[in-house]
Order: sequence, then C-alpha cells, then structure tokens
Amino acid sequence: MSNDVWVVADLKIDGTIRKVTFEALTEAKKKLVGGLGGQLCAVVLGSGVSGFEAELGKYGAEKVYVIDSDLLKDFNTEGYVNALGELIKQNEPAVVLAGNTVFGQDYFPRAAARVGSGVAMDAISIGLSGDNKLQIERYSHSSKAIQTQVFHGGATMMATVRPNSFKAEESPTTPEVISGSVELNPADISVKVLELETKASDRPELTEAERVVAGGRGLASEENFKYIYELADTLGAAAGATRAAVDAGYCPYDMQVGQTGKAVSPNLYIGIAISGSVQHFAGMGSSKVIVAINKDPEAPIFQKCDYGIVGDLFDVLPPFTEKVKQLVSE
Amino acid sequence: MKILVIVSQTQDTEAKIQVSAGGDSVDTADMKWIMNPYDEFAVEEAIQTKEKHGGEVVIVSIGPARVVDTIRQALAMGADSAVHINGDGFAETDPFAIGKLIASEIKKLGDFDVIFTGMKIIDEESGQVGVQVAEELGIPHVSLVSKVVEINADAKKAVCQKEIDGGHVVVEAPLPCLITCPDAMNEPRYASLPGIMKAKKKPLTEVGIDDISFDGLGFSKEAVSKEGARVKTTGIEVPQIERKLKIIKGSDEPMVKGEEVANAAEELIKLLREDAKVI
Repeated sequence: MSNDVWVVADLKIDGTIRKVTFEALTEAKKKLVGGLGGQLCAVVLGSGVSGFEAELGKYGAEKVYVIDSDLLKDFNTEGYVNALGELIKQNEPAVVLAGNTVFGQDYFPRAAARVGSGVAMDAISIGLSGDNKLQIERYSHSSKAIQTQVFHGGATMMATVRPNSFKAEESPTTPEVISGSVELNPADISVKVLELETKASDRPELTEAERVVAGGRGLASEENFKYIYELADTLGAAAGATRAAVDAGYCPYDMQVGQTGKAVSPNLYIGIAISGSVQHFAGMGSSKVIVAINKDPEAPIFQKCDYGIVGDLFDVLPPFTEKVKQLVSE
Repeated sequence: MKILVIVSQTQDTEAKIQVSAGGDSVDTADMKWIMNPYDEFAVEEAIQTKEKHGGEVVIVSIGPARVVDTIRQALAMGADSAVHINGDGFAETDPFAIGKLIASEIKKLGDFDVIFTGMKIIDEESGQVGVQVAEELGIPHVSLVSKVVEINADAKKAVCQKEIDGGHVVVEAPLPCLITCPDAMNEPRYASLPGIMKAKKKPLTEVGIDDISFDGLGFSKEAVSKEGARVKTTGIEVPQIERKLKIIKGSDEPMVKGEEVANAAEELIKLLREDAKVI
C-alpha cells in the first residue's frame, strides 16, 4: 500500500476537465497529502486525452496516470471500471477521489467493489481521522442530516466529492506522466453506445455554478421558461428546474434540481414559482443565499429562504430582470 | 422472462429527522417505514416488462422482520414471489457488505434476464448497492435509466436511454444486466385491494443470517455489523441553517400588485446587494 492520494479526472463529453477535479486536487493537497506523506496524483481515463498534465499540474498533481484508449471514448462504464480497477491493483494508493457526477456515480462504486474497497459517496468535506484514515462528511436523509463517515481496514479508501464543495486553487508543479500501464480489451466492453446527443450551452453547468436561477411548475409552459433563461443569463447563472416542471415538459431533465437530479450549493439560488418541497430542498437546501418569488404566501419555501417577494412571477420578474440588467451594465 | 427487483425499506424522510441518543444514527422510534420511492419505479418497470414479455417478477430484499410489509406491497403491485434476507445487523453494516449478501442470494435463484433497482435509497442516499451487486454478479449495469426503450429476451439485449449533462445517451446492454431507476421513468401503480389479498398467499422465502454461506464473500458473518463496516458512520447531525426570512409582501393582500411590484423588485435587489452582498 502506498501513501499516495489519487484524483480521477472528470471529463465532459467535449473532452474538457470538470472543475470538480481541480477542487478535489486542491482539497486533497490541503487535507490529506501532508498527513499521509505520499504524492498527489491525477488519473486521466479517456480517448485522445494526452496533454492534460499541464492543467492538472497547475493544481498540484505530482504524477499523472494516463490511460488513452478508443474504448474509453464518450465515457464507458466497463472501460472505466477495468482501467481504474487495474491501476489501483497495480499501485495500491491510499485514497482515490472522483467527482460525484452522473459518470462518477456510475463507475466509481463499481470500481470500488472490483478492488474490494469501501466507498463513501458525495462527500462535502474530506480529512484524516486520528489514525490517518479518510474521514468525510456527507448529506443523508434527503439532505436533512450530515453524516460523518470514517474508513477502517487496510484497503484503498475511495470517495466521490460533491462539485462546488471546495475551492480550486493553483499550486503549480510539473508532473511526471505515466502512460498506458493498463491494456483494455474490446471483448470486455459489452455495453454499446447507440446514440449520443449533447448540445453545447453557454450557461455554466448547474453543479459548478456560483449562481442558479430555477423555475417551478408555476412557469406554466416551456415558452415561459424564457424568463428563467433571461434572468440566468443576466446573472451569469445556471438554469434549473423542479421535478414538476421537468415532468410537465417545460425543460430538459438535466436541469432538474433535487433529490433526483442535481445537488447544487451556489452562493445565490433564486427559485421562481417553486413551492419548496422536501425533495427539491434536498438538492439546493445548502445554498448560501436562497431567494423565492412565488404568488402563494403559504408556499413552504417562504419558511426557509433568506429573501422573497410574494407576487406573480409574470408581474415581478420582468422589472426585476430589467433592474438586474441595469446593475450589470453599470 | 425472469425479472428480479432489489427493493429496500426506508425511513420516510418527509418526516422530521432526530438524532438518536448515541449520536451516530437517526432516531427511528417513531419513524414511518416505507418502500424506498426509487424502488417503486423499479417494481413498476419490472411489472410492465412482465406484462409485455411474460415471465415472473421476483423481489429480493434485505433487512429485519419489518421489511416484510414492503415486500408484500411489491407483491400486491404484481410481483410473483420474494426472497427476504432477514436479519437485524444489516442497517449498521456498509453498502459494500449489503451488495455482496444480496448478490450471493441472487446467485442461488438460477438464471435471470434483468434486475431492476432504485438509483439510491432516500435515507442513506449513497446509491452504490445496485451497481455493486452487478459487479459481484459479473453482469453489466446501466445506471440512472430514464427510459427503457426495449427489452428483447430473444436477442438477449436491453436498450436504455439515460440522461447525461447537456444531453442523453442511448445504450445497448446484453442480458442479463442490472438497471438502476431514477424517478419519472414510469408511474408506479397502487396496490389494488384484490392485489393486496393475493399478495398474502404469494411465496416468500425467508433466508436467515445462519443460512448464508460466507465462504467466498470476503468477509465473515461477524463483519455484518457496525464493527465490520469498511466505512463507518461515526456521527450524524441535523444542521439548522438560519435563514433570514425577509419576505416582501403587498400592503393590502400578501401579493405585491400594481405599483408595488417595481418597488418590491428594487427592494429585493437592494437586499441582495447590501444585505447579502451576492450581486
């Protein structure tokens, strides 16, 4: 067993690295690497993924393991599990972290089962216990509670971390690159991608955004979501929605914030025509500042927000957005 | 087709959460126990698959005696039989061991075509057991499936759509495979009264912890406990976030109207700038 701490890079479909990777590197360097006395390493799994070492080195990675294979193109569960599982068996790192993203939730627990490790999901803090074991905090019970979890036993300790939980800070190094130490076999990949459709967006991703503007069922149509997008774009915010709005077909599923869908913790969350269910709060209740605009004074969100206007969104939002625009242009 | 569903019982998190005296778990004394909501989608998907292709739906569940209520609910919805891995220590062990135990019992059920289970359980919210069972069984999984496009038992394949950031992906997995279910993939049915009556007579196999062979599981019977967990929950707190609750209302009625609207918008911006300092 080595004392190294690994962070698996979370790649977007467009091939760029998600911010959560740099957040995890920064936090691991601060909280784990010194205590364990090993190196901070990054792992890049994908197709055409050479050349990331400069970017990863900027956030402190001293070593970068690269598995570059066509079989890992556009993310592939079995390829990821095989590659990461084999890398862990070869090198026995003390800790492996990854982003708690759609992909991370998919391959990471399976990779942990592959190597016989316990895994903690969706950590909002990481550190070491008295006897140098990984100790994390995470939300549970629809985000109403925070659990502390501590690893024990001798296996590699594995955890996913929630995006936007830590601040990414530069700490430049020139990493050593170790390429191609695992060969993937096409026969091991049984799940095939038939269709992949992604659309580019200028808006920040929900889980990474500093600000989020979200709409509920009260928007009443897909057309009316333009009010959400307009305010979001004015603020440089991500656009989100409740499950009810997504179910009603007003916007795509990847905008859903809540127990299912995305967990977000921005500095500013503006909920428009959102009643504030337990399930929705499970995904945004840890936001620093919560703002509500809703015409129902009895909406539960008014019991758990910082600021709000009791009013019809169609009355309130146009002048509000206009004034924010003025402010931004100043 | 033989269709399996892994179903869990969970605490109803709509309820108020209180920390137990020990400080490391949630007080369950007055808790309502329900079928994990995500597993309801899994049961529904399994029954719809049976309705299309014929076959049987088998429920697999782990937990203490109270779990039988949830199993009966799944049987009342239309599942055919169930296996209950019955024991008290499971709640305190970690998902790693739970996944291995479930997989070891599934291996005893013979050949099957597909397994459905919820994407996560709403109390622990960990979401790892499903894919770990697939790993233990050596079958592929497709997680967070928003739509099962097609299951073809003859061609031995499942075509599933899943949502990813900024789009979606459609994948084809060979059978047998395991599918994890978020919400919105279907509308779970309610158990009918005749369904509830019939469920009482459907076969339910009880497996006690002493019936389980731990050979080859990689851990001992004693490890199915808090002491044996690789990841231990050592504390739990219910954070109270103090919100400012500065709500702008109308003068005559709660809603701001007419000229009040522009002032309210102005006031909210002032609060966000000067009080919260976020814009």
